[in-house]
Amino acid sequence: MIRKTSIAVVCCAVLSSVPLFAHHGGNLYDTTKAKVMKGTVTKFEWGTPHNQIYYDVKTDKGEVEHWVASTEPAGVMLERGWTRRSLKPGDEVTVYIFAAKNGATVGNLQKIVLADGKELTAGGPGPADAAQPPAGRQ
Amino acid sequence: MRTRGLAAAAFVVSVTAAPANVYAQAADPPNPPMDVSALKNFLPIGPPSPLPVSKVPDLSGDWTFGAGGFGQSLSAADPGGRMRGKEPDIPYQPWALQYTMKQFPPTGPDAAFERTTDPNIHTCEPLGLGRIYMAPAKLRFIQTVEAVYILHEIGPTWRVAWLNAKHPDDPDPQYWGHSVGWYENGDTLVVDTIGTNDRSWLDQLGHPHTEKLHFIERFKKQDDKTIRLDMTVDDPGAYTGPWPGVRNFTKSTTGFLRFQWVCSVRDNYEHYEKVGRTATPGETSFKK
Repeated sequence: MIRKTSIAVVCCAVLSSVPLFAHHGGNLYDTTKAKVMKGTVTKFEWGTPHNQIYYDVKTDKGEVEHWVASTEPAGVMLERGWTRRSLKPGDEVTVYIFAAKNGATVGNLQKIVLADGKELTAGGPGPADAAQPPAGRQ
Repeated sequence: MRTRGLAAAAFVVSVTAAPANVYAQAADPPNPPMDVSALKNFLPIGPPSPLPVSKVPDLSGDWTFGAGGFGQSLSAADPGGRMRGKEPDIPYQPWALQYTMKQFPPTGPDAAFERTTDPNIHTCEPLGLGRIYMAPAKLRFIQTVEAVYILHEIGPTWRVAWLNAKHPDDPDPQYWGHSVGWYENGDTLVVDTIGTNDRSWLDQLGHPHTEKLHFIERFKKQDDKTIRLDMTVDDPGAYTGPWPGVRNFTKSTTGFLRFQWVCSVRDNYEHYEKVGRTATPGETSFKK
């Protein structure tokens, strides 16, 4: 059930250009690079204030790490094509997250790729960034 | 100020598990140094007289955040909240600046979710004017002859902007105040609000307002899929002049209230426990 470890830290220009998420404590995550890992979904919570995706990752040492990735709330993810049935326990996935700076096994989801190649993105025209003021101002 | 003090006291009672220094932070915010009721607003209040003649713009549909996103700050110059306290377009009074900088925002560049003083996170206080647009939730307008009803997916809550109406002379201070509305130029709905209490934040960063807040919203239909909202904060109790906020909305087809964003203290705490705590060890004001 647990896939072989494949944790890689990838400097990803595309992902790092995604606007900062409004997740609570969003400044606690390293948004300069996405951590990419393969794992198995153990639980998918669909709701507010944010969705949570629980997944297990097997390390090179054979240990199992329990990760939690957070997304925007359900209403926003509906706009991005997600539903509460998008993920289910047992799904083998490749996860791209901005991980906690302190090494905790939590992070903000950027995208997730299912075993059949289907890609679910968590980014989009999200929270305003100071560098991108609304059109018509400044 | 009396109402802010009461709100702070209620907040303290509600989080009895919090450390003492967090109580002190929330219970003793700086207040405006005067009775704000005697102050005069900077801008004219209520509909112009005579009312402009305008066709009624069609605002039907569901509207979600568009270009620029939903943001952290109401400041038009700093929607991302990176210049908290130093925004070039917010003319703080000293107490309002002090109040803002003493808050622990739940989101944004200065987020301290584990210590947040946010009354919405802790006790699900209503988001209030301005801040209601900082959440990624849809809104819908119900336009009738006598009023425009603004329905918000978060809360869920709704407001009424009375058409062909004036504000009462002495409205009871309440979270959403008293709103009147009118149309302009065939493409714009103007909503003019007074009579709020002073318990809510104007945005995610803790910008305060007083009971003297006069809040103006101009919803301009730019095309069939876009509405631009220009907001003006006119509060002589907290700021030395009016200041602007901007948001854009785009039409959504995913269905209004398909997912109801009900504020739940339990959900807030659980999210923190599941995701926030491991990333933020140490002091917390959250219940265990």
